[in-house]
Amino acid sequence: MSPNTNICPICSGLPGTLPLLNQRAVDYAGMISIALGCKIPSAVVFYRKNYFYPDLPKNFQITQYNAYGFTSIGVEGKVDYGVKSSKIKRVQLEEDPGRLVYGNTNLETLIDYNRAGVSLVEVVTEPDFSEPKDVRIFLNKIISIIEHLGVCDTRLDGSVRCDANVSIEGGNRVEIKNVGSFRDVEKALRYEITRQKTMSVRDIEIKSETRHWDDARSITKQSRKKEEEEDYRYFPEPDIPTIVLGEDYISSLKTKMPELPHERKTRFLRVYGLSDHVAQVLIDNKELADFFESTVKIYPSSANEIANLIVSDLLGLIDESTKEQRSIFSGLRINAKHIAELARMIDQNVINRNIAKMILSQITKTGEMPSYALDKMDASIIDSKDVISETIESIFKSETSAVKDAKQNPNAANFLLGKVMQLTGGRADPKIALNLIKTKLAVLE
Amino acid sequence: MENSLYHLNAEQVASGIRNRDFSAVEYISEILERIEKIDVKINAFVTVDNEGAIEKARSIDKRIQRGESIGGLGGVAIGVKDNICTKNLKTTCASRMLEEYVPPYDATVIKKLKENDAIIVGKLNLDEFAMGSTTEFSRFGPTRNPWNINCVAGGSSGGSAASVAALECAISLGSDTGGSVRCPSSFCSVVGLKPTYGCVSRYGLISYSNSLEQIGTIGRTVTDVMLIMNAIAGEDANDQTTRTTVPGTKTTSRGQTPKYSLQNKRNIRVGLVKELVEGADPVVSKCIYSAMDLFVGSDCKCEETSLKSVQYALASYYTIAMAEATSNLSRYDNIRYGFDSNPEEYEWNTYFTKVRSNFGEEVKRRIIIGSYVLSAGYYGKYYLKAQKAREMIKQEIKSLFEKYDVLISPTMPILPFKFGEKIDDPLKMYQIDIDTVVANLAGIPAISIPIGFNDGLPIGMQIMANEMGEQTLFDVASSFESTIDIHGSPKI
Amino acid sequence: MVSRDEIKHLGWLSRLELTDEDLDRYVSQIDEIIRYFDKLDTVSLVGREPASSMKKVSELRKDSIHMFEGDPLEFFKNRKDGFVKGPKMV
Repeated sequence: MSPNTNICPICSGLPGTLPLLNQRAVDYAGMISIALGCKIPSAVVFYRKNYFYPDLPKNFQITQYNAYGFTSIGVEGKVDYGVKSSKIKRVQLEEDPGRLVYGNTNLETLIDYNRAGVSLVEVVTEPDFSEPKDVRIFLNKIISIIEHLGVCDTRLDGSVRCDANVSIEGGNRVEIKNVGSFRDVEKALRYEITRQKTMSVRDIEIKSETRHWDDARSITKQSRKKEEEEDYRYFPEPDIPTIVLGEDYISSLKTKMPELPHERKTRFLRVYGLSDHVAQVLIDNKELADFFESTVKIYPSSANEIANLIVSDLLGLIDESTKEQRSIFSGLRINAKHIAELARMIDQNVINRNIAKMILSQITKTGEMPSYALDKMDASIIDSKDVISETIESIFKSETSAVKDAKQNPNAANFLLGKVMQLTGGRADPKIALNLIKTKLAVLE
Repeated sequence: MENSLYHLNAEQVASGIRNRDFSAVEYISEILERIEKIDVKINAFVTVDNEGAIEKARSIDKRIQRGESIGGLGGVAIGVKDNICTKNLKTTCASRMLEEYVPPYDATVIKKLKENDAIIVGKLNLDEFAMGSTTEFSRFGPTRNPWNINCVAGGSSGGSAASVAALECAISLGSDTGGSVRCPSSFCSVVGLKPTYGCVSRYGLISYSNSLEQIGTIGRTVTDVMLIMNAIAGEDANDQTTRTTVPGTKTTSRGQTPKYSLQNKRNIRVGLVKELVEGADPVVSKCIYSAMDLFVGSDCKCEETSLKSVQYALASYYTIAMAEATSNLSRYDNIRYGFDSNPEEYEWNTYFTKVRSNFGEEVKRRIIIGSYVLSAGYYGKYYLKAQKAREMIKQEIKSLFEKYDVLISPTMPILPFKFGEKIDDPLKMYQIDIDTVVANLAGIPAISIPIGFNDGLPIGMQIMANEMGEQTLFDVASSFESTIDIHGSPKI
Repeated sequence: MVSRDEIKHLGWLSRLELTDEDLDRYVSQIDEIIRYFDKLDTVSLVGREPASSMKKVSELRKDSIHMFEGDPLEFFKNRKDGFVKGPKMV
């Protein structure tokens, strides 16, 4: 988007303009607070955080502050991730500043106010993490919750940002800003912990400061801004009234809220009888979970099969890189109908799972319906004992050493089965084939 | 000339043009001539919009000729304090920091005036960013009192009051944070009204102190002032501090106002705030008592009453006002708007600090004090306490309004004084606001009406009513007005 | 006593350039004013919070788009390639 095209007098900080609080922003912040297990106060106020910076149109930011009897929109929450959990200190609603671009000539700074004034929710945790990888898992959990709530398009560039704080025993807290992505958070934390530990070993004092993550060099470096000297002179924002929340409002939010990940997982286990692992994989990506449920709607008879197709086979076909794009299914030319039909075909024993896998890999490129692809492939199950027997005969003739080994080596039978499957292009019914092989071996003795 | 059109008050102009007694162009031409002739003597105007005014007058006349109806304020000449944004018309706040600023939008009140077909003749002088009580802190030189040009016109809306007194316009808009509409109105012998907080949108009013200020109206009669107030008041989606309902004051024509009674025919109960009268110049308090004597009849109860928390009023007002001001003025960094200056090659903080030295002395003082009272360590001692004191004052006034319909005091404790008298002693200057700040702290409406002169210098009386009590204010003020009946305009 | 250093620091916090003469002048004036504000010491902090105006969430601004009529770039006096031009960061 071109700079300074999506602006108005208010977000440009023109004299005489007044801030206007957005209803939906409050709703979304409230929903996030509820989803993170927070307590919500009966009323909220906004505060001004006063400091000078080029990206601030008013040289103050409207935000929330916990003091003098008022709290932000959510406090004292908790989020479980895997077997661990983290306490949430607060959830607050505030406004975004503009965006800075550093001029080519280095004589100037360029400012774009397009995103100034946009509503922002900040979630602050307690220092409950002891390993960087836990942070990454936690962050992914937060994303999953946000996606399920539908309150933010998390794939949009810059829509989710994270600052991390680290301290080691005996040292001061260091804040790391400018971390571009959640993957980088883990990297930055690892680096910073090492840096601090090294300093500690050498008896160098770890100062309380703000450092910047330098992505290009993968290090944290001292911040140019003198943040520690700022006195923000917080006071209540006089242009925005006290916002009354109350029990009725909170209840109405809860009814508006979509199903949260852990609620959905419980439902998947109960209603569809999925295994814990499979359900978890689906839940971890809302798009997958949605896709699963759309598919089950079309063909409700074997939810388990559908889930397995998605988790075991389809997921493997998704290119890692597409995970960054708008949809993880970009590049795959199939939809729920395809998977539903595939599940039906397996269910009705038209094909076996191996064939299903082959068909899937093909149709994701062509977009054809599975039955159509099957016809072309002639990949129907061979269950005729005669046909299979014939194949076995020819295998026994060529794999004489394996046949000889079969008596002592129980795995030989499986090896021979493998050969049968190979020869039949995977189409033989493996159960029938194995039985015939065993029968034949027994006869040979 | 007594029969000149510029003598007419707003009500008379609107009906005169509507009835085709004279044309809008005729009227506006006389107004603009008047400004041209005498403004050099009093310096009320920062900008005069000759072209825009004539154009608007022409379009009004055309529509009248075509038989179309025009707005209720059709043709009335209005001046606007230069801290209220007018689209495409320079708005400076009498400061170098907005020297070249031309707003791309109209304040809500301006939009409403235009919809009513009022004619905005120009922008009026003020203390820089509305901070002051004499208009001596303006970059464009002070505004002189039309009654005595060696004396101050009051402030911060000095230009607004002086222009109305000097017949340069029929009505003007000012802003009142701690008395800035009422003070100059009193000093210039005109009527000035500050409405209940939240009744008039502040969208487009360049903020000094958001929780205290309101746009007010100044005119030569109580009716005029209320008429314009009715036109500009109302809930506004662009200002979330506006009220859902506002009083729609019923005004009756001059001379027909019922005496001694309110709209609902009940007798008026008047409370004279003794702390505010006692602290005034004896000449002033004598005048207040005389006015009361004239007004009091057998039907009206009037007695002295006490507002003890007044002792905290000035400290509370200035603490809160300066705290909000320091933050509101942070945006003036000369990057997006301001004066001509090339930011290239400067470092950011150096540039900010350098350009912001172009604020005037009084503004800089308030910015520093504002930061002081908000800083860590002092926030509880000053800002929080000031808000508590404010609440205390509000509660005490509320209980007084259970006993009285209106509270009365002098508007200013002293007569208009000579230039330079108080300018070197900030605290002394702040103390002349003692009578007016209470209404801002409590958010209640207050009006100043002229009640007399002493040695040619005007004296004004302040009437305060409860929240949303504008009708009561109108009834009482217009009763006083017809009883006291002050005539005449300054000879300029 | 409000100190000179305090005023200097506040000047920095507010990005105001203050000369030595300015500081000398301001110290006594501001001290006198702050001493006057000390009247507030006798106000008790116990009791109700100051009530500001209240609004329900349903009364807030709806999440709808209002485009500004006109060219927003006209808001700004220093421009470069559609951006607002400001001084450099160190």
